[in-house]
Amino acid sequence: MTLLALPTAREEGWRWSDLSALPALAERSPTGRVPDALPWLDCAHEGPRLLFIDGRLDESRSRLGPVEIGPVSVQTGHPLGRLAGAGGWSLRLGRDHAPPGLLQIVHVSTGAADHLAGEIVLDADAQASIVETFSGEGWTNRLAGVTLGKSARLMLNRRVLGPAGFVSFTDHAELGEGASFVAATLAAGGRDTRLDGEIALVGEGAYAEAVGALLARARQRHDANFVIRHSVPSGTSRQVWRSVADDKAACSVAARVEVARHAQKTDGEQSLKGLLLARSATINAKPELEIFADDVKCAHGATVGALDRNALFYLESRGVTPDEAKALLTRAFVADALDRIGEKRVREAFYADAEGWFA
Amino acid sequence: MLRIENLHANVDGKAILNGISLAINPGEIHAMMGPNGSGKSTLSYVLAGRPGYEVTQGSVTLDGEDLLALDPHERAAKGMFLGFQYPVEIPGVSNVQFLRTALNAQRRARGDKELSAGEFLKLAREQADALDLSMDMMKRAVNVGFSGGEKKRNEMVQMGIIDPRLAILDETDSGLDIDALRVIGAGINRILRKPDKAVLLITHYQRLLEIVKPDFVHVLAGGRIVRSGGAELAMELEREGYGAVAA
Repeated sequence: MTLLALPTAREEGWRWSDLSALPALAERSPTGRVPDALPWLDCAHEGPRLLFIDGRLDESRSRLGPVEIGPVSVQTGHPLGRLAGAGGWSLRLGRDHAPPGLLQIVHVSTGAADHLAGEIVLDADAQASIVETFSGEGWTNRLAGVTLGKSARLMLNRRVLGPAGFVSFTDHAELGEGASFVAATLAAGGRDTRLDGEIALVGEGAYAEAVGALLARARQRHDANFVIRHSVPSGTSRQVWRSVADDKAACSVAARVEVARHAQKTDGEQSLKGLLLARSATINAKPELEIFADDVKCAHGATVGALDRNALFYLESRGVTPDEAKALLTRAFVADALDRIGEKRVREAFYADAEGWFA
Repeated sequence: MLRIENLHANVDGKAILNGISLAINPGEIHAMMGPNGSGKSTLSYVLAGRPGYEVTQGSVTLDGEDLLALDPHERAAKGMFLGFQYPVEIPGVSNVQFLRTALNAQRRARGDKELSAGEFLKLAREQADALDLSMDMMKRAVNVGFSGGEKKRNEMVQMGIIDPRLAILDETDSGLDIDALRVIGAGINRILRKPDKAVLLITHYQRLLEIVKPDFVHVLAGGRIVRSGGAELAMELEREGYGAVAA
């Protein structure tokens, strides 16, 4: 591979990332070993399923439905996103298109690097709900473009599982009038991450939510960077991130809200909270507001703390073991983010993954 | 059942308990009374194993086993329950979830079968009904948004569900109105007034002792038991005050 002019920690936007493992992963050969059990969700209303093994569609185990495989046109200047190339999958739903059921995408990496782009275009009033699951142990790099027409609704839930390796994704989203985009992410495996998103509210009254729970232990690193741009009036945005770091791990979240001069009546909220399970762990939280309009409501908060000792003792005095007490309180801590996932079946699956991490 | 001998304990390096000795047998209810700062709450925390409460001398055994060597959750599994003076609020953890985890952890530790969700909910409903706490409240986060009286009732519901052999109740009566006091007192009698169970009831006032009749009353002052007697001692205290009785 000829790539890898990767950003370094000297660049402000990359100072909390550690990309040093990527060149070696990019040179490895995939083992091609796919686990028998794949992390599909059982749902009442089955939708399309896409299985990508090392970035290639496994047609025999996929069910495309309205999804197409082929060239996509997502523009990006992002140093990892632009590696994704011009090929991938796309979901285009016309005006008033009924939801195609839950679209499930599973990316399995068998130990090397793969890059892939995806494009989601929802015309007016169309709706879609997607769960993307990252499993395996190499470097999985994804680029996504999202375009939502008037009053279109997209729920994009992602979970990063798998024992080792790296996951990066770069989202570019554009929301039309009254459109709604909810992106929720859970990182609960052993892989490092670099997660980037730029969400632009270009139609009035749009709603954007970028939320997530990042769980890290050992020497893991998670790094999420999301920007929400309000360029027209009456938009609403929410950024809720909960980071949990144990051992020598580090979780970093940079969340930014930009409100242009004409974007009056913007309602923005940021809540970045970190939970340190060990003194040697690190949490970085960087809430940023850039506001040029004068009639806006923007709240932001960032806190970092440890588990409440009084609560731990209260639980333990009733017989809860110390590990269970820690897990109960940690689960409660990430609930602010995971409770944002509207579909019960998806939310329960994400909670189960988080609980698997606590256990 | 519980044997405390010459117990000394420090908090933040300061001696609070200065040689407490007390034996509690099955079927007995002991009241521990005393003025503010006499060490009542410290005694309850030391018995429950709260971190930061350092035993410097003496011993405590439960059924002959060294209690002080056990972690708080192990003490609970042996049948001990601490009713908190200030029950802790735990946002994001429901009462039901908390208590099912607690009860099943205790049952596991004792080698008993864990309760299914259905079995647990039935038990929780019975106990909540008995203390006039709705199941809606049981499904809410632990003590969050509960009034003072509701928190204390919740402590008793928890005690009913867990069904301990030995309860240490730290000012369970504080902050209660007369009606709530009756409900809580009746709860204590119902759950614990049994030949194989015992209670250490820590209180300032005699009011609760009119409902939960103690077999023994002790007066704690300066980290020591300065007087012990029967139920009549509580009345004497009420009449004459701690100053006269503890002197």
